[in-house]
Amino acid sequence: MMKNGGNFCGSTEHDVSRRDFLGTLGAASVLGTTGAIHTLVADGPNKAIKKKDRRVILLWLAGGASQLETWDPKPGAPTGGPFASIPTDVPGTHISELMPMMAKRMKHSCVVRSLNTHDGGHGGGAQLMMRGRKDEPALKYPDLGAVLAKELGRMDSPVPDYVNFYTSTEGRGSARISPAFLGARYGAIKLTDKMVPPNIRRLKDISQDDHEARLGLRDLLSKRFQQGRELATVKSHAAAYARVHGLMSSEKLFDISNEPEKVKAMYGPTQFGQQVLMARRMAEAGVPFVRVGRAWWDSHGQNFETHSEMVPELDRVLAALIDDLKQRGMFDNVLIVTMAEFGRTPRINGSLGRDHFATAWSATLHGCGIQGGALFGKTDKNGEHVTDDEIGAGEFFATILRAVGVDHQKEYHIGARPVPLVNPGIKPISQVLT
Amino acid sequence: MPDEKNVNFKVKKEVSRKDICFSMERVPGTGRLYFGSSDGGVYDIDLTSGKPEAKRCEGNGHTSYVTGVALTEKHIVTGAYDKHLAWWDRESGRLVRRQMAHNKWLRGVELSPDGRLIASVADDMVCRLWDAETGKLFKELRGHKIRTPHDYPSMLFCATFNSDGSRLATADKPGHIIVWDVKTGKQIKTMESSGMYTWDPSQRRHSIGGVRSLCFSPDGKTLTAGGIGKIGNIDHLGAKARMEIFDCEKGESLKVLEGGDKFKGLVEHLLWHPEGDWIVAGGGDHNGWLLFIDPESKKIIREEKAPMHIHEFAFNEKTDHIFAVGHNKLARWELEA
Repeated sequence: MMKNGGNFCGSTEHDVSRRDFLGTLGAASVLGTTGAIHTLVADGPNKAIKKKDRRVILLWLAGGASQLETWDPKPGAPTGGPFASIPTDVPGTHISELMPMMAKRMKHSCVVRSLNTHDGGHGGGAQLMMRGRKDEPALKYPDLGAVLAKELGRMDSPVPDYVNFYTSTEGRGSARISPAFLGARYGAIKLTDKMVPPNIRRLKDISQDDHEARLGLRDLLSKRFQQGRELATVKSHAAAYARVHGLMSSEKLFDISNEPEKVKAMYGPTQFGQQVLMARRMAEAGVPFVRVGRAWWDSHGQNFETHSEMVPELDRVLAALIDDLKQRGMFDNVLIVTMAEFGRTPRINGSLGRDHFATAWSATLHGCGIQGGALFGKTDKNGEHVTDDEIGAGEFFATILRAVGVDHQKEYHIGARPVPLVNPGIKPISQVLT
Repeated sequence: MPDEKNVNFKVKKEVSRKDICFSMERVPGTGRLYFGSSDGGVYDIDLTSGKPEAKRCEGNGHTSYVTGVALTEKHIVTGAYDKHLAWWDRESGRLVRRQMAHNKWLRGVELSPDGRLIASVADDMVCRLWDAETGKLFKELRGHKIRTPHDYPSMLFCATFNSDGSRLATADKPGHIIVWDVKTGKQIKTMESSGMYTWDPSQRRHSIGGVRSLCFSPDGKTLTAGGIGKIGNIDHLGAKARMEIFDCEKGESLKVLEGGDKFKGLVEHLLWHPEGDWIVAGGGDHNGWLLFIDPESKKIIREEKAPMHIHEFAFNEKTDHIFAVGHNKLARWELEA
């Protein structure tokens, strides 16, 4: 069964373009009642949660942002680097001076300073953080976006369930995402060199009238076929066509030109800012999970200058996203996550760089289901070890799930085999959840 | 000046440290150095003594990396990433005063040849000239853009006076170099060394590099800029050390020099040999080196590994010793004919 599931979902190269989507559907029809087919069946037990319209925007700081130059500064320590720390609007919580805008918004934010994820490799670390655990030899797990696309998405949604921006080429391979056994239905629309998904436009030689006529004919034939047939496969076939039609009309989601200048200015002129603004538009339109990959933070040389370029950009964009969501009344329904594959070494190398470090690093949560102003975990004076409340990738993954109302103990089934969303014994960080 | 091929170049003293030593000034006629540290301290050490011990100057002058040291008649003047300049009494080693000098990281300080002015450069992209003893602001030199061509905050790394103190050169991250008239504060000439700046638009989407060091020739006719060449993988300082020599009159590039394959990284400091025979460059990546350039042929004539990434160095008067500070280490070399 696993083998079938694996073949069905295909590789991680499965971009969900319109044609891929239909191709997958065809495979699903052939496979009949595999575990993957369950993913195409309409609303299951999470119906109530889905009605809450919860969304997640993940800012993926690819390459590994330094916790010491962001969320866990150690000014004055030999490892602290040259930046000062600044007080925030949460008494007792200080962050890097590179983040003055977020310093005024920490009452809306939660910092987790005690990640020890044990994997300092880009590929291993990315897989771990995006899945909450390592793949097994015979079982590949779906990534966070795929899980939330399934749990928070709607079968009849006219918008994508999972969009992944990753424009820079570095680390794109190591930050691989995959729906695994959930199937390509929950895979990401991957936006790399272009800001708009490929193949969602109507072909030029098909007029709008022809397009609508074809749709009508297909709908008519489909309804006739469905009469007297209550098979889930038939329903999902029709739903898939409806989704493809929705995808074809979702191009405007990826167009920020009509956003007010004031809003665009909040996010700033950079590509990252524009993509996060698009992510907000998508969340507003109902896309359950958007990952915006900002690469590349891997500062083995000149760490401080790299961070003096990149952290102010993160500060501005994250602050803008929080403000924008609050102004739209969406902040309580959208969870913002910042994380990477790991952090960076406290030790400063000869090139004034910091290297990979998974032993004591930070991630943040903001918005939906999260206690604003929460500070979880602690590292020692030099930032070399976690001293309080150490957690791993699994606990952080479970916390994200719980924050948006997904039961982390839920199980999927691949045939008869139950596959829990997180490994047994893993618990969310209850202290930071509302 | 000994023939460079016959110079025996030996490290005579190494002092290991836990901090990073960014800046230094040698006390004339001695082997004593004042150096600035990543711990915010300013230290006094004699690298010619049997067991050199660093003594920290007294007072809370700085709270971040000390990136510039200059010696006036009465004071040690230091600048740091904490945006402040500090004056220390040379005799007592105690802090005299500190003052806010810039709005962003202060990258370096230089003393004019007549000892009357201190030039400070910082990432607010302003070079300020101060009375070297009183700290009174004399002039502001504005002309470097505050944003890089890719709309990120720029950095103003270095400044140097010419030998008669009438000109000052400053250089920034995108490689823009300005020569200023010190008396009037006007720009005399601008030059571009854009080969020192790498913007990666597709793989990593940030920048690295910049002109990190400058030195005028003794006659003031040429200006040498130091940095690093175009980097393929900007995660690392993985390109050859790069120097570019300019004609100051015409503002034209005369020659670009690159270190060998084993001499990668930033040229952090440049010096003309006091007798005008060599230009010496010091710097590094994870490792360190000194490069010797023949100003006539404009070729690198010798490359020497150093025990650490060098941030600054100086000759003694006889030019038979080089003193250097850098990453976790101080060192003294002896040059024997």
